[in-house]
Amino acid sequence: MVSTLIAPHTETFDAPAVPASTAVQIENVSVSYPVGKKTRKTILENISLDIEEGEFVVLLGETGCGKSTLLRMILGQERPTNGRILVSGKPVERVDSRSGYVPQKYSLFPDRTVLENLVMGPETSAYHILGRLRPGFRAFRKQVREEAFRQLRHMGLQESDAAKYPHQLSGGMQQRVAIGQALMMKSRVLLMDEGFSALDPATRTSLQRLLRSVWSELKPTVVFVTHNTMEALYLGTRLIVLARPNFEDHCGSRVVLDMKLPASGMSLRSNGQEFLDLVDHVEQFSRGDRHPQPSLNGESR
Amino acid sequence: MAVFSPFDIQARPNRLLAQALSCLLFVICIGLYMQTSISRHRVNSEDRVVPNAAQLAAGIHASILEPAEEDDYIPADNASHWELLRHSMIWKDTASSGRRFLISLCLLVPAVVLALHIGLFPWFGAGFLRFVLFFDKIIALSLLPILFIVFGIDEWSKIALIVIGVAPTMILDVTQMVKSVPQEQIVKAFTLDANNFDVAYRVVSRQVMPQVINSLRLNLKPMMLFLFAGEMIAASDGLAYRIAIMRRHMGMDVILPYVLWVAFLLFLIDFSLRALNRRMHPWFQP
Repeated sequence: MVSTLIAPHTETFDAPAVPASTAVQIENVSVSYPVGKKTRKTILENISLDIEEGEFVVLLGETGCGKSTLLRMILGQERPTNGRILVSGKPVERVDSRSGYVPQKYSLFPDRTVLENLVMGPETSAYHILGRLRPGFRAFRKQVREEAFRQLRHMGLQESDAAKYPHQLSGGMQQRVAIGQALMMKSRVLLMDEGFSALDPATRTSLQRLLRSVWSELKPTVVFVTHNTMEALYLGTRLIVLARPNFEDHCGSRVVLDMKLPASGMSLRSNGQEFLDLVDHVEQFSRGDRHPQPSLNGESR
Repeated sequence: MAVFSPFDIQARPNRLLAQALSCLLFVICIGLYMQTSISRHRVNSEDRVVPNAAQLAAGIHASILEPAEEDDYIPADNASHWELLRHSMIWKDTASSGRRFLISLCLLVPAVVLALHIGLFPWFGAGFLRFVLFFDKIIALSLLPILFIVFGIDEWSKIALIVIGVAPTMILDVTQMVKSVPQEQIVKAFTLDANNFDVAYRVVSRQVMPQVINSLRLNLKPMMLFLFAGEMIAASDGLAYRIAIMRRHMGMDVILPYVLWVAFLLFLIDFSLRALNRRMHPWFQP
């Protein structure tokens, strides 16, 4: 069963036309920065990925393998040294509202209540700083507020939480609101950087369940960065493992594993021993043990 | 009763004793003052250097109910206390010093806005930061001759002295605060379709505001210091002017109430800023 699950996900990166269903295209991206006079440290090397609309992609890798860098590039916060990235068919130049973002920390605006955090997105996108003086604003605000309350309940919070400030909420609650805040924008791409890593195991599980249900309901394209293999296998429909082939400076991380997971998700409870085997298998790749069968090395040259 | 052991970090002094101890230094100071005053008055009953209670009372009365020497206001015979207070020396000095102080406080607002831009917009940072760093190192008082030439010797030179003295420090401080706003917050705001000014004025400025007010509280004293320096050197009214004048004929009976009055005013401003900060920013976690 394991072998059918990890059938290599083949693709060619010289595909001419961008199909409408491709949400994120990463074309031959490398990242490096100079250290010292002549040497450069390479973080990512020749990454090429096509992420389909509605896919739940989990980026997995050891600390420092550049998975967060890749996410920040999709976001537009950093730029690749070579190659380019397209989101919804257009190149990413700067951070904009094409993608929603849920970071690990500082995910909410501390100076705004839960409700204000939720309405922040639609409000600013319709009425910028001075537009708030325009007459239609109040009516619009009322309407957005109603939607925000719906979203709040949907994320499993009570209406009494709406007036609280983020510091009055637990970490799990904060992340719930942060996901809701990103969903309020109705952007088709949701980027999460270690979204649940700072939470305790029980909260973490409940948030994973929430995210799964949100995904199966709205089918957004999700790129989820994590270093937790179990979490990756539970959440994703596609798993991408980044690792560096060796620890020399000129070698950056590459995609060492790229596999489809069942859309219904996997868990220890439903898949048992098979799940544990898969965890072992994946971790072998992300640790950089370089002797599994060559046919599994999806992208590496 | 708790054992008195001053070098025990884990000591738990009882409340009453701790309160009493906190008053001790005040009591000692007042006691020493009184002792000195009494012994000096024994030698010379007209001593002005350490005035006794009666002299102090007369000095306070003179400052709050009598006009300044240079004024030729003659109160009507049936003038009320309020009327007298309105034309008194301390009122006049507080008003003119306060006016200078408030104007320079208002002039710090554009400095804070500039700092927000320097910290947030890379082009502003490139243009201004190095110059402000340089300007911060110039001792404002050493510019005083230039200020007198440029702004004349009345109001504006003193206000300029305060602003030039405090603004660069304030700008650098606020720039640091703006830079320490987590990058995630700014990125998040952009993904919520905010434009540059939304991020500057509705995300970052709101978040640093409580820290800006705290920084202002710390800068109140330097501001007052520059104001006093300016007034002592060239002024025809103001709290420091009065202290400088009174020093010439050892008018300690007026100087001491003035010193305490200025301290009280500063405390009041500081306290109200702190209260305002708490009221306006209940979310702030220092």
